Amino acid sequence: MNYIEINNLVKTFKEKGKTVTAVDDISFSVKKGEIFGLLGPNGAGKSTTINILTGLLEKDSGTVKILGREPEKSWEFVKNKTNVATAYSWMSDVLTIEQNLRVYAKIYGVKNYEKRINYLLDLFELKNIANRKIIRLSSGENTRAVLCKGLINSPKVLFLDECTVGLDPDIADKTRILIKNYQRDHDCSILFTSHYMYEVEQLCNRIAFMQHGKIVSIDTSKNLKKLIKKHTVEIAVKKDIKLLKDFLKTEGVDVIFAKNNTMIFEVSTENDKMYKVISKIFHRGFILSNLHIKGPTLDDIFIKISRQQKK
Amino acid sequence: MKFYRIEALLLKYYYITINRIDRLFDIIYWPVIDLFIWGFAGFYIQALSDVNVLSMLLGGVILWIFVWRSSQDIAVFVLEDFWSRNLYHLFASPIKLSEHLISIIIVGLLRALTTFAILWPVGIMFYSFNILRISPLLIAVAVFLLTLFGWAVGLFIASFIFRFGQRIQVLAWSVTFLLTPFAAIFYPISALPQWAARIAVALPPAHIFEALRALINGNPVNYYGLAYAFTASFVFFIAMAFFLVVSFKKARKTGLLVKGD
Repeated sequence: MNYIEINNLVKTFKEKGKTVTAVDDISFSVKKGEIFGLLGPNGAGKSTTINILTGLLEKDSGTVKILGREPEKSWEFVKNKTNVATAYSWMSDVLTIEQNLRVYAKIYGVKNYEKRINYLLDLFELKNIANRKIIRLSSGENTRAVLCKGLINSPKVLFLDECTVGLDPDIADKTRILIKNYQRDHDCSILFTSHYMYEVEQLCNRIAFMQHGKIVSIDTSKNLKKLIKKHTVEIAVKKDIKLLKDFLKTEGVDVIFAKNNTMIFEVSTENDKMYKVISKIFHRGFILSNLHIKGPTLDDIFIKISRQQKK
Repeated sequence: MKFYRIEALLLKYYYITINRIDRLFDIIYWPVIDLFIWGFAGFYIQALSDVNVLSMLLGGVILWIFVWRSSQDIAVFVLEDFWSRNLYHLFASPIKLSEHLISIIIVGLLRALTTFAILWPVGIMFYSFNILRISPLLIAVAVFLLTLFGWAVGLFIASFIFRFGQRIQVLAWSVTFLLTPFAAIFYPISALPQWAARIAVALPPAHIFEALRALINGNPVNYYGLAYAFTASFVFFIAMAFFLVVSFKKARKTGLLVKGD
């Protein structure tokens, strides 16, 4: 079952008399229990899409279904079973974390809400600052407080819009584990946006790349990486670097960098070419002091897709 | 509409009131100072006149609180959510605009009644002025109509805030003050120049304060004026509520709820 279904969604804004298309005829669906990543540069339309799904923005056209219902016809049902967390919007800043969570727990009609609040404060390590006003929090603490709010009603669908911005690496890692655990334990669907590719790769089952309001590619991270059929090889030899360079030229390999005893080159993974080239290097008697092979990352895919679109 | 969600928002406004000293000053400090200023001025003018000036001034100050608080509280509590960038989470939740408004209206009324409960004994203690002695029925009607008019003004300001954002937040403080000269709180409509009197006649508060003065001075009350005040307050309130709904829809279209600026 699809928990989120979007078909031909369009949203435009008027800016200084001109019409700007923020979301341009996009369609995708998120299955039950799936973490779906939206990736793209600033202004790609990721947040606009989430804002339409949360009811904060009105779409121009297209259809949206959340938990099988059209939100505009069943806002109460949909909103009670969804929630959102973003690093860019605060809860009421004159209230403490605990006061805010109490207000939102009551808004969502959470039963035994004090217990739920204590559990979330513990989970996000906020218990000792629960009585601190939002305005006095660091950005990382604020992000964690917003995540507590995002989970207050144990949502079936969770929208996470760059929710790990400002977190230190340790807390960010813990947060990703918490998100993954929550999704697994509640079979919840998560629509996740982030600028951090490794985070998206670690968390998301499928990823959609957005650019200029359009979705340019949707697939698993593994399949997306197959779009780039090259690996990057970094090699350091004890001697004969010039000979190695000449050899690679004869093999038709693109050398990106060569200095002192180190060389970086790109080699195709098609027809086992990479393995053949490396094997030949060994057979020719080059003595290696370092060898590092790097497959394509989501960053590489992102750059490739972005540049293709610009062309 | 769900009561538990209105209750949740009332809890939020309670927290704002106890956490922010300026929200407490709104309901205690400024009204009491106002009462003292007009009370002392009334004492002085009373000595020069046969008319019961002191009662007219103090009655005006105490009743105007209901317009002032009702209108300003709607505007300021809407602005509170803009200032704290909380609109995003608030309207992404199941809260409906009607629940948001009802909670603000209730909190405004409670705050106005709190101020009234403070000013009433202060009037008795310092000036031997008991506003309820004038006519409990008229005071009840006046409180109801002035509050309704205050809500209409508050909805008008809130509509502009949802339409244009925080940049027009000055309206929250200025609109009620702009109405003050035309509300005939401290003087009769006849004391106004013709152009201002025309505006005053169209506004419900002027008729209510005319009735208050008539009772204090033992003159007959103009019930047609009160009937107009009653009708006009309702019409203004409904029109402004409609205007707010339109502005809120516009905010969802333009993205103001997301940007909150």
